[in-house]
Amino acid sequence: MKQKNTSFIIIALFLAGAFMPLILKQYHLNMLTEIIIFALFAVSYNLLLGYAGLLSFGHAMFFGLGAFMTAVAIIHIPGLALWNAILIGVVTTIIAGFVIGSLLLRHKGAYFALLTLAFNALFYAVATKWHSVTGGDDGLSITRPDLSLGFTSISMASLTHFYYLTLIIVGAAIVFCWYFTHTAMGKTVLLMRENEERMKFLGYNTNISRLLLFTFTGAVAGLAGSFYTLHFQFVSISAISVDMTTAVLLMAFVGGTKTFWGPILGAFVYIILQNYLSNITDRWPLFMGFIFVSMVLFIPGGLSEVIMNIRQRLFGKKDNNGGKSAASEEV
Amino acid sequence: MSDYLHIQNIHKDFSGLKVLTGVEFKVKEKERHAVIGPNGAGKTTLFNIISGKFKPSSGAILFKGQDISGKPPHVLNRLGLSRSFQITNVFQELSVFNNILAGVRSHYGLRYHFFKKPDRDRNICERVEAIIDEVGLMDVKDQPANSLSYGKQRALEIGITLSTEPELILLDEPTAGMTREETNQAIKMINQVTAGRTLIIIEHDMEVVFSLANTISVLHYGTILVSDTPEKIRNDQRVKDAYMGEG
Ligand SMILES: Nc1ncnc2c1ncn2[C@@H]1O[C@H](COP(=O)(O)OP(=O)(O)OP(=O)(O)O)[C@@H](O)[C@H]1O
Ligand SMILES: [Mg+2]
Repeated sequence: MKQKNTSFIIIALFLAGAFMPLILKQYHLNMLTEIIIFALFAVSYNLLLGYAGLLSFGHAMFFGLGAFMTAVAIIHIPGLALWNAILIGVVTTIIAGFVIGSLLLRHKGAYFALLTLAFNALFYAVATKWHSVTGGDDGLSITRPDLSLGFTSISMASLTHFYYLTLIIVGAAIVFCWYFTHTAMGKTVLLMRENEERMKFLGYNTNISRLLLFTFTGAVAGLAGSFYTLHFQFVSISAISVDMTTAVLLMAFVGGTKTFWGPILGAFVYIILQNYLSNITDRWPLFMGFIFVSMVLFIPGGLSEVIMNIRQRLFGKKDNNGGKSAASEEV
Repeated sequence: MSDYLHIQNIHKDFSGLKVLTGVEFKVKEKERHAVIGPNGAGKTTLFNIISGKFKPSSGAILFKGQDISGKPPHVLNRLGLSRSFQITNVFQELSVFNNILAGVRSHYGLRYHFFKKPDRDRNICERVEAIIDEVGLMDVKDQPANSLSYGKQRALEIGITLSTEPELILLDEPTAGMTREETNQAIKMINQVTAGRTLIIIEHDMEVVFSLANTISVLHYGTILVSDTPEKIRNDQRVKDAYMGEG
Protein backbone atom coordinates (compact mmCIF):
# COMPACT_ATOMS: atom_id res chain seq x y z
CA MET A 1 0.00 0.00 0.00
CA LYS A 2 2.72 2.40 1.00
CA GLN A 3 4.79 1.26 -1.96
CA LYS A 4 1.90 1.94 -4.33
CA ASN A 5 1.81 5.49 -3.03
CA THR A 6 5.49 5.86 -3.66
CA SER A 7 5.17 4.48 -7.19
CA PHE A 8 2.54 7.12 -7.83
CA ILE A 9 4.82 9.87 -6.54
CA ILE A 10 7.67 8.61 -8.70
CA ILE A 11 5.55 8.71 -11.85
CA ALA A 12 4.30 12.19 -10.94
CA LEU A 13 7.88 13.40 -10.46
CA PHE A 14 8.97 12.03 -13.83
CA LEU A 15 6.02 13.69 -15.52
CA ALA A 16 6.74 16.97 -13.79
CA GLY A 17 10.38 16.59 -14.82
CA ALA A 18 9.34 16.03 -18.41
CA PHE A 19 7.56 19.40 -18.46
CA MET A 20 10.39 21.36 -16.91
CA PRO A 21 12.11 22.33 -20.18
CA LEU A 22 8.88 24.10 -21.15
CA ILE A 23 8.83 26.08 -17.94
CA LEU A 24 12.43 26.70 -16.94
CA LYS A 25 15.01 28.96 -18.49
CA GLN A 26 18.24 27.37 -19.70
CA TYR A 27 20.11 28.52 -16.63
CA HIS A 28 17.66 26.81 -14.33
CA LEU A 29 17.37 23.73 -16.47
CA ASN A 30 21.11 23.46 -16.22
CA MET A 31 20.86 23.67 -12.48
CA LEU A 32 18.12 21.05 -12.38
CA THR A 33 20.30 18.68 -14.42
CA GLU A 34 23.06 19.17 -11.90
CA ILE A 35 20.64 18.57 -9.03
CA ILE A 36 19.47 15.26 -10.48
CA ILE A 37 23.08 14.10 -10.90
CA PHE A 38 24.02 15.07 -7.37
CA ALA A 39 20.81 13.57 -6.03
CA LEU A 40 21.99 10.20 -7.35
CA PHE A 41 25.41 10.72 -5.83
CA ALA A 42 23.85 11.61 -2.47
CA VAL A 43 21.44 8.68 -2.59
CA SER A 44 24.30 6.27 -3.21
CA TYR A 45 26.19 7.80 -0.34
CA ASN A 46 23.24 7.47 1.97
CA LEU A 47 22.89 3.77 1.21
CA LEU A 48 26.23 3.51 3.00
CA LEU A 49 25.65 6.10 5.70
CA GLY A 50 21.94 5.98 6.47
CA TYR A 51 21.19 2.37 5.65
CA ALA A 52 24.36 0.47 6.44
CA GLY A 53 25.65 2.87 9.09
CA LEU A 54 29.02 3.11 7.34
CA LEU A 55 30.60 6.55 7.42
CA SER A 56 32.78 6.89 4.34
CA PHE A 57 35.09 9.82 3.71
CA GLY A 58 36.03 8.48 0.33
CA HIS A 59 32.91 8.39 -1.77
CA ALA A 60 34.33 11.01 -4.13
CA MET A 61 36.95 8.54 -5.34
CA PHE A 62 34.22 6.61 -7.12
CA PHE A 63 32.44 9.72 -8.31
CA GLY A 64 35.73 11.13 -9.58
CA LEU A 65 36.83 7.86 -11.09
CA GLY A 66 33.60 7.58 -13.07
CA ALA A 67 33.95 11.22 -14.08
CA PHE A 68 37.57 10.88 -15.22
CA MET A 69 37.17 7.53 -16.96
CA THR A 70 34.30 8.89 -19.04
CA ALA A 71 36.34 11.95 -19.98
CA VAL A 72 39.48 9.96 -20.74
CA ALA A 73 37.55 7.43 -22.79
CA ILE A 74 35.86 10.13 -24.87
CA ILE A 75 39.18 11.87 -25.49
CA HIS A 76 41.17 8.79 -26.39
CA ILE A 77 38.67 6.65 -28.25
CA PRO A 78 37.51 8.49 -31.35
CA GLY A 79 33.85 8.06 -32.20
CA LEU A 80 33.08 6.46 -28.85
CA ALA A 81 29.35 6.03 -28.36
CA LEU A 82 27.79 7.90 -25.44
CA TRP A 83 26.55 4.66 -23.86
CA ASN A 84 30.02 3.20 -23.93
CA ALA A 85 31.57 6.31 -22.42
CA ILE A 86 29.16 5.95 -19.50
CA LEU A 87 29.66 2.20 -19.35
CA ILE A 88 33.43 2.57 -19.14
CA GLY A 89 33.02 4.97 -16.22
CA VAL A 90 30.70 2.61 -14.38
CA VAL A 91 32.60 -0.61 -15.04
CA THR A 92 35.84 0.93 -13.82
CA THR A 93 34.20 2.00 -10.58
CA ILE A 94 32.74 -1.47 -10.12
CA ILE A 95 36.24 -2.92 -10.35
CA ALA A 96 37.71 -0.23 -8.10
CA GLY A 97 34.87 -0.64 -5.60
CA PHE A 98 35.38 -4.37 -5.49
CA VAL A 99 39.13 -4.16 -5.00
CA ILE A 100 39.04 -1.39 -2.39
CA GLY A 101 36.02 -2.96 -0.72
CA SER A 102 37.88 -6.25 -0.34
CA LEU A 103 40.59 -4.42 1.56
CA LEU A 104 38.11 -2.53 3.75
CA LEU A 105 35.39 -5.02 4.49
CA ARG A 106 36.71 -6.15 7.84
CA HIS A 107 36.72 -2.62 9.17
CA LYS A 108 33.89 -0.59 10.57
CA GLY A 109 33.48 2.69 12.38
CA ALA A 110 36.48 4.97 12.68
CA TYR A 111 38.88 2.61 10.90
CA PHE A 112 36.57 2.33 7.96
CA ALA A 113 36.18 6.11 7.79
CA LEU A 114 39.94 6.68 7.97
CA LEU A 115 40.76 4.04 5.40
CA THR A 116 38.26 5.44 2.93
CA LEU A 117 39.78 8.87 3.50
CA ALA A 118 43.24 7.45 2.82
CA PHE A 119 42.11 5.78 -0.39
CA ASN A 120 40.45 8.98 -1.53
CA ALA A 121 43.68 10.87 -0.88
CA LEU A 122 45.54 8.26 -2.92
CA PHE A 123 43.17 8.66 -5.85
CA TYR A 124 43.43 12.40 -5.60
CA ALA A 125 47.22 12.25 -5.60
CA VAL A 126 47.23 10.04 -8.67
CA ALA A 127 44.81 12.34 -10.47
CA THR A 128 46.96 15.36 -9.64
CA LYS A 129 50.28 13.83 -10.63
CA TRP A 130 49.29 11.81 -13.66
CA HIS A 131 49.09 14.91 -15.77
CA SER A 132 49.30 13.21 -19.16
CA VAL A 133 46.07 11.31 -18.56
CA THR A 134 44.04 13.45 -16.20
CA GLY A 135 45.22 16.87 -17.23
CA GLY A 136 46.28 17.47 -13.62
CA ASP A 137 45.27 20.90 -12.36
CA ASP A 138 44.05 21.91 -15.80
CA GLY A 139 41.42 19.22 -15.99
CA LEU A 140 39.95 17.71 -19.14
CA SER A 141 37.51 19.22 -21.59
CA ILE A 142 35.30 17.03 -23.71
CA THR A 143 32.44 17.35 -26.12
CA ARG A 144 29.39 15.24 -25.39
CA PRO A 145 29.04 12.52 -28.00
CA ASP A 146 25.67 12.27 -29.68
CA LEU A 147 23.28 9.65 -28.49
CA SER A 148 22.89 6.90 -31.04
CA LEU A 149 19.75 4.83 -30.80
CA GLY A 150 20.50 2.57 -33.75
CA PHE A 151 17.88 3.92 -36.11
CA THR A 152 18.54 7.53 -35.30
CA SER A 153 20.94 9.76 -33.46
CA ILE A 154 20.07 12.54 -31.04
CA SER A 155 22.32 15.55 -30.71
CA MET A 156 23.56 16.03 -27.19
CA ALA A 157 24.80 19.52 -27.91
CA SER A 158 21.32 20.60 -26.90
CA LEU A 159 21.00 21.17 -23.21
CA THR A 160 17.37 20.16 -23.25
CA HIS A 161 18.24 16.82 -24.86
CA PHE A 162 20.89 16.16 -22.28
CA TYR A 163 18.47 17.12 -19.55
CA TYR A 164 16.03 14.48 -20.78
CA LEU A 165 18.76 11.88 -20.96
CA THR A 166 19.74 12.71 -17.37
CA LEU A 167 16.16 12.65 -16.21
CA ILE A 168 15.61 9.21 -17.68
CA ILE A 169 18.90 7.45 -16.92
CA VAL A 170 19.91 9.09 -13.66
CA GLY A 171 16.28 9.25 -12.57
CA ALA A 172 15.92 5.52 -13.26
CA ALA A 173 19.08 4.85 -11.26
CA ILE A 174 17.61 6.74 -8.29
CA VAL A 175 14.41 4.74 -8.60
CA PHE A 176 16.42 1.55 -8.72
CA CYS A 177 18.23 2.56 -5.52
CA TRP A 178 14.86 3.04 -3.90
CA TYR A 179 13.73 -0.36 -5.16
CA PHE A 180 17.01 -1.81 -3.92
CA THR A 181 16.15 -0.85 -0.34
CA HIS A 182 13.23 -3.28 -0.54
CA THR A 183 15.12 -6.18 -2.08
CA ALA A 184 16.74 -9.06 -0.25
CA MET A 185 20.12 -7.35 -0.42
CA GLY A 186 18.73 -4.00 0.67
CA LYS A 187 17.01 -5.58 3.66
CA THR A 188 20.15 -7.52 4.51
CA VAL A 189 22.02 -4.24 4.78
CA LEU A 190 19.44 -2.91 7.24
CA LEU A 191 19.36 -6.09 9.27
CA MET A 192 23.13 -6.05 9.53
CA ARG A 193 23.11 -2.59 10.96
CA GLU A 194 20.45 -3.68 13.41
CA ASN A 195 22.25 -6.83 14.56
CA GLU A 196 25.21 -8.02 12.55
CA GLU A 197 26.07 -10.84 14.93
CA ARG A 198 22.69 -12.47 14.66
CA MET A 199 22.88 -12.25 10.89
CA LYS A 200 26.03 -14.35 10.94
CA PHE A 201 24.23 -17.02 12.90
CA LEU A 202 21.46 -17.01 10.32
CA GLY A 203 23.76 -17.94 7.46
CA TYR A 204 24.70 -14.51 6.18
CA ASN A 205 28.27 -13.75 5.25
CA THR A 206 28.32 -10.19 6.48
CA ASN A 207 31.69 -9.39 4.93
CA ILE A 208 30.39 -10.33 1.51
CA SER A 209 27.28 -8.25 2.14
CA ARG A 210 29.38 -5.22 2.95
CA LEU A 211 31.56 -5.79 -0.10
CA LEU A 212 28.53 -6.05 -2.39
CA LEU A 213 27.02 -2.91 -0.94
CA PHE A 214 30.29 -0.99 -1.15
CA THR A 215 30.78 -2.03 -4.77
CA PHE A 216 27.19 -1.21 -5.65
CA THR A 217 27.20 2.23 -4.07
CA GLY A 218 30.58 2.91 -5.67
CA ALA A 219 29.20 2.00 -9.08
CA VAL A 220 26.19 4.26 -8.58
CA ALA A 221 28.50 7.10 -7.56
CA GLY A 222 30.54 6.33 -10.66
CA LEU A 223 27.44 6.67 -12.82
CA ALA A 224 26.73 10.03 -11.21
CA GLY A 225 30.34 11.05 -11.85
CA SER A 226 30.09 10.01 -15.45
CA PHE A 227 27.04 12.24 -15.93
CA TYR A 228 28.81 15.02 -14.08
CA THR A 229 31.51 15.02 -16.75
CA LEU A 230 28.96 14.87 -19.54
CA HIS A 231 26.99 17.68 -17.97
CA PHE A 232 29.85 20.13 -17.56
CA GLN A 233 31.76 18.74 -20.54
CA PHE A 234 34.69 19.19 -18.26
CA VAL A 235 36.24 17.43 -15.32
CA SER A 236 38.90 18.63 -12.92
CA ILE A 237 40.61 17.09 -9.93
CA SER A 238 38.00 18.71 -7.70
CA ALA A 239 35.66 15.90 -8.80
CA ILE A 240 37.85 13.37 -7.02
CA SER A 241 38.89 15.54 -4.08
CA VAL A 242 37.91 15.21 -0.46
CA ASP A 243 35.92 18.43 -1.00
CA MET A 244 33.60 16.41 -3.19
CA THR A 245 33.18 13.85 -0.41
CA THR A 246 32.40 16.69 1.96
CA ALA A 247 29.82 17.99 -0.49
CA VAL A 248 27.98 14.69 -0.66
CA LEU A 249 28.22 14.27 3.10
CA LEU A 250 26.65 17.72 3.46
CA MET A 251 23.85 16.91 1.05
CA ALA A 252 23.01 13.73 2.93
CA PHE A 253 23.14 15.45 6.29
CA VAL A 254 21.22 18.56 5.30
CA GLY A 255 18.50 16.45 3.71
CA GLY A 256 18.53 13.84 6.45
CA THR A 257 20.03 10.37 6.42
CA LYS A 258 17.05 8.66 7.98
CA THR A 259 14.86 8.62 4.91
CA PHE A 260 15.51 7.58 1.34
CA TRP A 261 14.46 10.93 -0.11
CA GLY A 262 16.28 13.11 2.43
CA PRO A 263 19.55 13.20 0.45
CA ILE A 264 17.64 14.07 -2.75
CA LEU A 265 16.21 17.05 -0.96
CA GLY A 266 19.69 17.76 0.39
CA ALA A 267 21.18 17.78 -3.11
CA PHE A 268 18.44 20.14 -4.23
CA VAL A 269 19.06 22.59 -1.42
CA TYR A 270 22.83 22.29 -1.66
CA ILE A 271 23.09 22.95 -5.39
CA ILE A 272 20.65 25.86 -5.27
CA LEU A 273 22.38 27.43 -2.28
CA GLN A 274 25.77 26.93 -3.83
CA ASN A 275 24.65 28.56 -7.08
CA TYR A 276 23.08 31.57 -5.43
CA LEU A 277 25.65 32.04 -2.72
CA SER A 278 28.53 31.79 -5.16
CA ASN A 279 26.86 34.49 -7.25
CA ILE A 280 26.69 36.76 -4.24
CA THR A 281 29.96 36.10 -2.50
CA ASP A 282 33.30 34.39 -2.94
CA ARG A 283 33.09 33.25 0.63
CA TRP A 284 30.22 30.87 -0.09
CA PRO A 285 32.04 27.82 1.36
CA LEU A 286 32.12 29.68 4.67
CA PHE A 287 28.37 30.13 4.61
CA MET A 288 27.83 26.53 3.57
CA GLY A 289 30.00 25.44 6.46
CA PHE A 290 28.02 27.62 8.81
CA ILE A 291 24.76 26.12 7.60
CA PHE A 292 26.16 22.63 7.97
CA VAL A 293 27.33 23.20 11.52
CA SER A 294 23.99 24.66 12.58
CA MET A 295 22.14 21.78 10.94
CA VAL A 296 24.18 19.17 12.74
CA LEU A 297 23.82 21.00 16.04
CA PHE A 298 20.16 21.88 15.91
CA ILE A 299 18.46 19.51 13.47
CA PRO A 300 20.60 16.37 13.27
CA GLY A 301 17.76 14.58 11.51
CA GLY A 302 18.02 17.02 8.61
CA LEU A 303 15.30 18.67 6.57
CA SER A 304 13.41 15.43 6.09
CA GLU A 305 12.93 15.22 9.83
CA VAL A 306 11.63 18.77 9.93
CA ILE A 307 9.16 17.97 7.17
CA MET A 308 8.03 14.77 8.84
CA ASN A 309 7.47 16.64 12.09
CA ILE A 310 5.44 19.33 10.35
CA ARG A 311 3.40 16.71 8.55
CA GLN A 312 2.80 14.98 11.82
CA ARG A 313 1.63 18.19 13.45
CA LEU A 314 -0.64 19.11 10.55
CA PHE A 315 -2.21 15.75 9.86
CA GLY A 316 -1.58 14.06 13.17
CA LYS A 317 -0.08 11.25 11.16
CA LYS A 318 1.85 8.98 13.37
CA ASP A 319 5.31 8.45 12.04
CA ASN A 320 5.74 4.74 12.40
CA ASN A 321 9.51 5.02 12.41
CA GLY A 322 9.30 7.14 15.49
CA GLY A 323 11.71 9.28 13.48
CA LYS A 324 14.09 6.53 14.31
CA SER A 325 15.88 5.41 11.22
CA ALA A 326 15.79 3.93 7.81
CA ALA A 327 16.21 0.61 9.52
CA SER A 328 12.57 0.52 10.41
CA GLU A 329 10.51 -1.68 8.23
CA GLU A 330 9.11 0.75 5.70
CA VAL A 331 11.12 3.60 4.40
CA MET B 1 29.21 -45.53 11.86
CA SER B 2 30.63 -42.26 13.10
CA ASP B 3 28.84 -40.21 15.73
CA TYR B 4 26.47 -37.42 14.86
CA LEU B 5 28.25 -34.83 16.96
CA HIS B 6 31.48 -35.50 18.76
CA ILE B 7 33.02 -32.80 20.92
CA GLN B 8 36.65 -33.82 21.16
CA ASN B 9 38.92 -32.58 23.88
CA ILE B 10 37.98 -28.91 23.54
CA HIS B 11 40.16 -26.41 25.32
CA LYS B 12 39.53 -22.69 25.51
CA ASP B 13 41.41 -20.00 27.31
CA PHE B 14 40.80 -16.29 27.24
CA SER B 15 44.24 -14.71 27.55
CA GLY B 16 45.31 -17.02 30.32
CA LEU B 17 41.93 -17.72 31.85
CA LYS B 18 41.35 -21.44 31.24
CA VAL B 19 37.61 -21.79 30.80
CA LEU B 20 37.39 -25.15 29.06
CA THR B 21 40.01 -27.78 29.79
CA GLY B 22 39.27 -30.80 27.67
CA VAL B 23 35.53 -31.02 27.08
CA GLU B 24 34.58 -34.37 25.62
CA PHE B 25 31.13 -35.80 24.87
CA LYS B 26 29.01 -37.23 22.11
CA VAL B 27 25.52 -36.45 20.90
CA LYS B 28 23.46 -38.93 18.93
CA GLU B 29 21.18 -37.94 16.10
CA LYS B 30 17.70 -36.86 17.33
CA GLU B 31 18.98 -36.89 20.90
CA ARG B 32 17.73 -34.30 23.42
CA HIS B 33 20.88 -33.46 25.23
CA ALA B 34 21.06 -31.14 28.23
CA VAL B 35 24.25 -29.45 29.37
CA ILE B 36 24.14 -28.43 33.00
CA GLY B 37 26.67 -26.90 35.33
CA PRO B 38 27.11 -24.05 37.79
CA ASN B 39 27.34 -20.40 36.82
CA GLY B 40 30.54 -19.61 34.99
CA ALA B 41 31.24 -23.27 34.27
CA GLY B 42 31.78 -22.47 30.61
CA LYS B 43 28.51 -23.68 29.12
CA THR B 44 27.92 -20.64 26.96
CA THR B 45 31.57 -20.64 25.96
CA LEU B 46 31.11 -24.21 24.77
CA PHE B 47 28.11 -23.14 22.66
CA ASN B 48 30.10 -20.24 21.32
CA ILE B 49 32.72 -22.68 20.14
CA ILE B 50 30.33 -25.22 18.65
CA SER B 51 28.41 -22.49 16.80
CA GLY B 52 31.53 -20.81 15.45
CA LYS B 53 31.58 -17.59 17.45
CA PHE B 54 34.93 -18.54 18.97
CA LYS B 55 37.66 -20.82 17.74
CA PRO B 56 38.72 -23.42 20.29
CA SER B 57 42.26 -23.11 21.63
CA SER B 58 42.60 -26.79 20.78
CA GLY B 59 40.43 -29.81 20.14
CA ALA B 60 38.00 -30.74 17.41
CA ILE B 61 34.28 -30.87 16.78
CA LEU B 62 33.11 -33.62 14.48
CA PHE B 63 29.69 -33.03 12.97
CA LYS B 64 28.60 -36.05 10.93
CA GLY B 65 32.25 -37.02 10.61
CA GLN B 66 33.48 -33.62 9.44
CA ASP B 67 35.66 -31.40 11.62
CA ILE B 68 33.74 -28.14 11.89
CA SER B 69 35.82 -26.46 14.59
CA GLY B 70 36.86 -22.93 13.71
CA LYS B 71 34.40 -22.57 10.83
CA PRO B 72 32.57 -19.23 10.81
CA PRO B 73 28.96 -19.10 12.07
CA HIS B 74 27.35 -18.53 8.68
CA VAL B 75 28.98 -21.66 7.28
CA LEU B 76 27.89 -23.74 10.26
CA ASN B 77 24.36 -22.40 9.96
CA ARG B 78 24.22 -23.52 6.36
CA LEU B 79 25.40 -26.97 7.47
CA GLY B 80 22.24 -27.20 9.56
CA LEU B 81 23.32 -25.91 12.94
CA SER B 82 21.48 -23.09 14.67
CA ARG B 83 21.70 -21.59 18.12
CA SER B 84 19.80 -19.29 20.43
CA PHE B 85 21.34 -16.83 22.85
CA GLN B 86 21.22 -16.66 26.61
CA ILE B 87 20.80 -12.90 26.39
CA THR B 88 18.03 -12.17 23.92
CA ASN B 89 19.65 -11.34 20.61
CA VAL B 90 16.92 -10.36 18.17
CA PHE B 91 16.35 -7.51 15.71
CA GLN B 92 14.88 -5.13 18.27
CA GLU B 93 13.36 -2.56 15.94
CA LEU B 94 11.83 -5.00 13.51
CA SER B 95 8.48 -6.72 13.67
CA VAL B 96 8.21 -10.34 14.73
CA PHE B 97 7.46 -11.18 11.11
CA ASN B 98 10.60 -9.51 9.81
CA ASN B 99 12.69 -11.09 12.55
CA ILE B 100 11.67 -14.56 11.42
CA LEU B 101 11.80 -13.58 7.75
CA ALA B 102 15.52 -12.86 8.05
CA GLY B 103 16.27 -16.50 8.76
CA VAL B 104 13.66 -18.07 6.51
CA ARG B 105 14.80 -16.22 3.42
CA SER B 106 18.40 -17.06 4.22
CA HIS B 107 17.42 -20.73 4.20
CA TYR B 108 15.72 -20.18 0.83
CA GLY B 109 18.91 -18.62 -0.52
CA LEU B 110 17.51 -15.08 -0.68
CA ARG B 111 20.36 -13.36 1.10
CA TYR B 112 22.02 -10.96 -1.31
CA HIS B 113 19.59 -10.76 -4.19
CA PHE B 114 19.55 -7.32 -5.83
CA PHE B 115 16.16 -7.66 -7.49
CA LYS B 116 13.92 -10.06 -5.59
CA LYS B 117 11.82 -8.85 -2.69
CA PRO B 118 11.74 -11.54 -0.01
CA ASP B 119 8.31 -10.54 1.31
CA ARG B 120 6.83 -11.13 -2.13
CA ASP B 121 7.65 -14.83 -2.12
CA ARG B 122 4.62 -16.83 -1.06
CA ASN B 123 6.53 -19.92 0.09
CA ILE B 124 8.77 -17.83 2.27
CA CYS B 125 5.92 -15.86 3.81
CA GLU B 126 3.95 -19.01 4.53
CA ARG B 127 6.91 -20.56 6.24
CA VAL B 128 7.45 -17.41 8.31
CA GLU B 129 3.85 -17.49 9.48
CA ALA B 130 4.05 -21.18 10.29
CA ILE B 131 7.05 -20.61 12.53
CA ILE B 132 5.42 -17.62 14.22
CA ASP B 133 2.45 -19.85 14.88
CA GLU B 134 4.61 -22.66 16.27
CA VAL B 135 6.26 -20.38 18.81
CA GLY B 136 2.92 -18.83 19.71
CA LEU B 137 3.46 -15.26 18.55
CA MET B 138 0.67 -14.96 15.99
CA ASP B 139 -1.09 -12.25 18.00
CA VAL B 140 1.99 -10.00 17.96
CA LYS B 141 3.16 -10.81 14.45
CA ASP B 142 3.41 -7.18 13.34
CA GLN B 143 4.69 -5.70 16.57
CA PRO B 144 8.31 -4.66 16.94
CA ALA B 145 10.40 -7.03 19.01
CA ASN B 146 11.26 -4.36 21.57
CA SER B 147 7.59 -3.94 22.45
CA LEU B 148 7.12 -7.59 23.43
CA SER B 149 6.99 -8.95 26.95
CA TYR B 150 10.08 -10.77 28.19
CA GLY B 151 8.48 -14.18 27.73
CA LYS B 152 7.51 -13.39 24.16
CA GLN B 153 10.96 -12.08 23.37
CA ARG B 154 12.34 -15.41 24.52
CA ALA B 155 9.86 -17.18 22.26
CA LEU B 156 10.99 -14.97 19.40
CA GLU B 157 14.57 -15.88 20.17
CA ILE B 158 13.65 -19.53 19.66
CA GLY B 159 11.62 -18.72 16.56
CA ILE B 160 14.63 -17.03 14.96
CA THR B 161 16.75 -20.03 15.85
CA LEU B 162 14.27 -22.28 14.07
CA SER B 163 13.94 -20.04 11.06
CA THR B 164 16.83 -21.55 9.10
CA GLU B 165 15.41 -25.08 9.44
CA PRO B 166 18.30 -26.48 11.48
CA GLU B 167 18.77 -30.18 12.12
CA LEU B 168 20.93 -29.46 15.16
CA ILE B 169 19.59 -26.87 17.59
CA LEU B 170 21.51 -25.33 20.47
CA LEU B 171 19.38 -23.50 23.05
CA ASP B 172 21.15 -21.46 25.71
CA GLU B 173 18.94 -21.20 28.82
CA PRO B 174 15.70 -20.60 26.91
CA THR B 175 13.57 -20.35 30.05
CA ALA B 176 15.88 -18.30 32.27
CA GLY B 177 14.03 -15.49 34.00
CA MET B 178 10.58 -16.83 33.15
CA THR B 179 7.76 -17.36 35.60
CA ARG B 180 6.77 -20.95 36.42
CA GLU B 181 3.82 -20.79 34.10
CA GLU B 182 5.81 -19.24 31.25
CA THR B 183 8.43 -21.93 31.77
CA ASN B 184 5.89 -24.74 31.51
CA GLN B 185 4.52 -23.26 28.33
CA ALA B 186 7.99 -22.79 26.93
CA ILE B 187 8.93 -26.42 27.61
CA LYS B 188 5.86 -27.62 25.79
CA MET B 189 6.64 -25.37 22.87
CA ILE B 190 10.32 -26.36 22.74
CA ASN B 191 9.34 -30.01 22.78
CA GLN B 192 7.05 -29.49 19.84
CA VAL B 193 9.29 -27.35 17.66
CA THR B 194 12.39 -29.44 18.16
CA ALA B 195 10.68 -32.76 17.52
CA GLY B 196 12.56 -34.81 14.97
CA ARG B 197 15.71 -32.71 15.35
CA THR B 198 18.77 -32.95 17.54
CA LEU B 199 18.65 -30.66 20.54
CA ILE B 200 21.35 -29.50 22.89
CA ILE B 201 20.03 -27.31 25.66
CA ILE B 202 21.78 -25.45 28.44
CA GLU B 203 19.52 -25.21 31.43
CA HIS B 204 19.67 -24.43 35.12
CA ASP B 205 16.12 -25.38 35.91
CA MET B 206 16.28 -29.08 36.78
CA GLU B 207 12.58 -29.51 36.17
CA VAL B 208 13.10 -28.37 32.60
CA VAL B 209 16.12 -30.61 32.22
CA PHE B 210 14.36 -33.73 33.40
CA SER B 211 11.26 -33.09 31.36
CA LEU B 212 13.12 -32.39 28.13
CA ALA B 213 16.36 -34.30 28.03
CA ASN B 214 17.17 -37.93 27.46
CA THR B 215 20.89 -37.40 28.01
CA ILE B 216 22.60 -35.00 30.37
CA SER B 217 26.17 -33.80 30.44
CA VAL B 218 27.48 -32.09 33.54
CA LEU B 219 30.07 -29.41 32.89
CA HIS B 220 32.20 -28.65 35.91
CA TYR B 221 35.41 -26.67 36.09
CA GLY B 222 35.93 -26.79 32.37
CA THR B 223 35.44 -30.51 31.81
CA ILE B 224 32.52 -32.86 31.47
CA LEU B 225 32.10 -34.57 34.82
CA VAL B 226 29.71 -37.16 33.47
CA SER B 227 27.45 -37.65 30.47
CA ASP B 228 24.57 -40.07 30.92
CA THR B 229 20.81 -40.67 31.15
CA PRO B 230 18.75 -38.50 33.53
CA GLU B 231 18.23 -41.43 35.95
CA LYS B 232 21.94 -42.13 36.21
CA ILE B 233 22.72 -38.42 36.60
CA ARG B 234 20.14 -38.08 39.35
CA ASN B 235 21.84 -40.79 41.35
CA ASP B 236 25.44 -39.98 40.52
CA GLN B 237 27.35 -39.20 43.70
CA ARG B 238 29.88 -36.94 41.94
CA VAL B 239 27.10 -34.86 40.46
CA LYS B 240 25.36 -34.63 43.81
CA ASP B 241 28.55 -33.47 45.43
CA ALA B 242 29.63 -31.10 42.76
CA TYR B 243 26.51 -29.50 41.53
CA MET B 244 23.08 -30.52 42.58
CA GLY B 245 23.70 -30.34 46.28
CA GLU B 246 20.57 -31.78 47.80
CA GLY B 247 19.86 -33.60 44.51
N1 LIG C 1 34.78 -13.49 25.60
C1 LIG C 1 35.27 -13.77 26.84
N2 LIG C 1 36.42 -13.22 27.24
C2 LIG C 1 36.92 -13.47 28.45
N3 LIG C 1 36.34 -14.29 29.34
C3 LIG C 1 35.20 -14.89 29.00
C4 LIG C 1 34.60 -14.66 27.73
N4 LIG C 1 33.47 -15.38 27.66
C5 LIG C 1 33.36 -16.02 28.82
N5 LIG C 1 34.40 -15.74 29.64
C6 LIG C 1 34.60 -16.28 30.98
O1 LIG C 1 34.49 -17.67 30.89
C7 LIG C 1 33.85 -18.18 32.04
C8 LIG C 1 32.68 -19.04 31.63
O2 LIG C 1 31.67 -18.20 31.09
P1 LIG C 1 30.37 -18.79 30.41
O3 LIG C 1 29.54 -17.65 29.97
O4 LIG C 1 30.73 -19.77 29.37
O5 LIG C 1 29.68 -19.53 31.64
P2 LIG C 1 28.27 -20.22 31.73
O6 LIG C 1 28.50 -21.62 32.14
O7 LIG C 1 27.49 -20.02 30.49
O8 LIG C 1 27.62 -19.41 32.92
P3 LIG C 1 26.09 -18.98 33.19
O9 LIG C 1 25.42 -20.15 33.78
O10 LIG C 1 26.20 -17.86 34.16
O11 LIG C 1 25.53 -18.56 31.88
C9 LIG C 1 33.47 -16.99 32.90
O12 LIG C 1 34.45 -16.84 33.91
C10 LIG C 1 33.52 -15.84 31.94
O13 LIG C 1 33.89 -14.66 32.60
MG1 LIG D 1 25.82 -19.02 29.97
